[in-house]
Amino acid sequence: MGRTVGIDLGTTFSLIAYQSKRDGQPVCIPGPYGTTLCPSVVSVDADGSIVAGEPARRRLLTQPDRTIYSVKRLMGRGPADVQDELKIFPFRIDPASKNVIRVRLGDRIFTSPEISAFILRELRSWAEQFFQDTVDRAVITVPAYFNDAQRQATRDAGRLAGLEVLRLVNEPTAAALAYGLHEKKRGRVAVYDFGGGTFDISILKLISTTEGDIYQVLSTNGDTHLGGDDIDNLLLGAAREEIRGQGTDLAGHPEAVQELRKALIAAKHELSTSDKTAIKFALPGGGIYFREISRRELDQWIRPIIERTMAPVRQALADAKLKPEEIEEVVLVGGSTRIPLVRSTVEQFFGRRPHAELNPDEVVALGAAVQAAILEGGVKDMLLLDVTPLSLGIETMGGVVAKIIPRNSTVPASAQELFTTGVENQTGIDIHVLQGERELAKDCRSLARFQLKVPPGPAGLARIEVKFLIDASGILQVSARDLHTEKEHSIEVQPSYGLDDAEVERILEESITFAEQDFAERQLIEARNEAEIILAAAQKSLAREQAEASSEFPAEERKAIEDAVAALREAGAGADYKRIRALVDVLNQATTPLAERMMNRALATALAGKRLEEV
Amino acid sequence: MSTPSTTAAAPAACWSCAAATGGAHFCAACGKIQPLPPGADYFAFFGLPKKLTLDPAELEQKFHSLSWKLHPDNFVRASEAERELSLERSSQLNDAYRTLRDPVGRVEYLLGLAGMRKEGQHKQQAPPELLEEVFELNESLDALREARQSDGGSGEMKGIMAKLEAAQHKFESSLADVDQELARVSGEWDQALDSGADAASRNKLMERMNEILNRRSYIRNLVNSVRQELAGTWPVVRGS
Repeated sequence: MGRTVGIDLGTTFSLIAYQSKRDGQPVCIPGPYGTTLCPSVVSVDADGSIVAGEPARRRLLTQPDRTIYSVKRLMGRGPADVQDELKIFPFRIDPASKNVIRVRLGDRIFTSPEISAFILRELRSWAEQFFQDTVDRAVITVPAYFNDAQRQATRDAGRLAGLEVLRLVNEPTAAALAYGLHEKKRGRVAVYDFGGGTFDISILKLISTTEGDIYQVLSTNGDTHLGGDDIDNLLLGAAREEIRGQGTDLAGHPEAVQELRKALIAAKHELSTSDKTAIKFALPGGGIYFREISRRELDQWIRPIIERTMAPVRQALADAKLKPEEIEEVVLVGGSTRIPLVRSTVEQFFGRRPHAELNPDEVVALGAAVQAAILEGGVKDMLLLDVTPLSLGIETMGGVVAKIIPRNSTVPASAQELFTTGVENQTGIDIHVLQGERELAKDCRSLARFQLKVPPGPAGLARIEVKFLIDASGILQVSARDLHTEKEHSIEVQPSYGLDDAEVERILEESITFAEQDFAERQLIEARNEAEIILAAAQKSLAREQAEASSEFPAEERKAIEDAVAALREAGAGADYKRIRALVDVLNQATTPLAERMMNRALATALAGKRLEEV
Repeated sequence: MSTPSTTAAAPAACWSCAAATGGAHFCAACGKIQPLPPGADYFAFFGLPKKLTLDPAELEQKFHSLSWKLHPDNFVRASEAERELSLERSSQLNDAYRTLRDPVGRVEYLLGLAGMRKEGQHKQQAPPELLEEVFELNESLDALREARQSDGGSGEMKGIMAKLEAAQHKFESSLADVDQELARVSGEWDQALDSGADAASRNKLMERMNEILNRRSYIRNLVNSVRQELAGTWPVVRGS
């Protein structure tokens, strides 16, 4: 048996952590790029090979049509659900998608759990490298407000990555677990978790009992499609508009759009610590987009997005029957809580300074590692009691939903319903299970439909008890029993969105053929990809500098670059990934002065109000 | 067509070591988690008599202590049968706690067990003491809709809103009254149990509680609908 880990499968970044047996502290495991953050990006090469994480993120700039980010937004959703996101995210949805979204990457097609599985595999390889041991079981975190279909999709992703998913834990709860361990807190806590693509608020009560500490979630609420991504898209839209005003349309330049997005994200980050920043962006047709942004201006732009988080906060408090001033601690989680406006909004609402001592990017993964240790039997004095975020119901006459398990019920939770026939010789009873707070079935999330088969007989004779059970991961199980025969009644539940078991099995079998490259092999592929990217960029700059400013280009500098290019080419043909990486760094250094000169020149001409080609 | 009586009458025996369990959560002999005995109710789950006055702190403490023992976290490495039983028992624990910690849910559950919970025959009918208020409310709601359609002046709107707010206060206090009444009859029920009252007088109490519950659900719907109307009206008022 291998190791057990905790994984935060995030919209923008994912992390993997474990709890140290030595001192009982959870720790995030760094990958080969020196950071614990693995970009949640996946890219497919022309030869069909797949990379995930940092190398995939780099390809976002060179091969955007073969690369996907923010796939978490598609988990457990159908094509009709994501029409709004398609306007702002460059997802290429396969038109044949029915109840499961299929995405086209290059010439291959994947479901969202498959894509997420590539990210999980990448993280798994980090941990296996770190432990020098296999990793085969995991606790994976999900947004608290994820519905059943989104949770199932996440669990499927784990299975597809060769992991036994011991439990799905809600992200804010995981954060509370990590914080509790860190601070030894008691009392009522609000966790405000604003990440890359999702927003959650959870209200918890931390209780000391003789057996240990109980983390009891009182209520949770959120928006699974609200995050830092939305801020990025807002900024991107505004910048593209301004650039169009300068006479350049980026519509036909996906690479440039990704460059611009990257620059805007950097500016957003900068504005968390500075009062103003500037963007310098070389336009594809020549010319430059230069823009100063102040924090005040950013705040004005993003205030409506931050405001959208407050309705769920109020609802969660109302559901917990608490007032803001009754909350004793407020904890901030997720990268977007670094934004000063987020902090001040939360502080004002609760009337107290929120905690942000732990790294908001890592805290969820750390909590997942703690829960993993609890499930492994390593921690016996902590217990997590979480809730289901959405009410569970069944459709009744006239399309009305009868709620059978209310939202914020502690899980596991269950409900029994008795069904019978309405007309003589009826042979089946149709059952439609839904999740949501609205009165009508059409406004709730369809989870599954199934039919109870009954022997023909007089109306009302059949008595079949159906048990709906939401397990500790927040996933629904349905079973049925014939009360006349006392026998289990077999049912086949067809998920409305998502893969059924047979499909997961099929993908698993298929993936074995692509599978498990060993660590060195994967490193080699990644290093070569990196080399390819930087070689292409160096080549382009060399040619441009020759043509535009050969007089300023010192001969020894050019020689250094050409030598570095040649050395990297030669290494790229070999199989030593460490050597390739080292030479990538050499080439990077050799081209730095050149890149600086080009940028300064572009900037100078732009500020002089002239276009580059006129120089 | 009845359930085989043997199942119900069989003394609870441990599935693992066959010792008698007496319906306990765990077998006293071998310590294995046990399935729910048939007919077990939420009160029995907590080892409580079927009384309606409960100390919330004591119930919560029982809930936490049983959670430590029954939660699926403790059974990750156990056999599949035990994992299933833990899932069943802990979901039942959570369902039971959710139901019993709410004074109204408690009464509804008790009446449901006894087959005494019956929805009112005239669900749509207002309780007599509220007839006048309900009539006024409907008038205000009509006026509100009319004012919205004709884009009435803010002065007219304000008057209607004030009436609605007054109605909301009135119904909320009626709801509080009903809850008090329910608590009082719940107390009478507990006394009847203590004094060993006969089935007829117990039934009478249950009928009274059932009637109160029906009245309560009518008033609650009123409160909710006024609340919704008020919430939906705000932007109109501010915008005009």
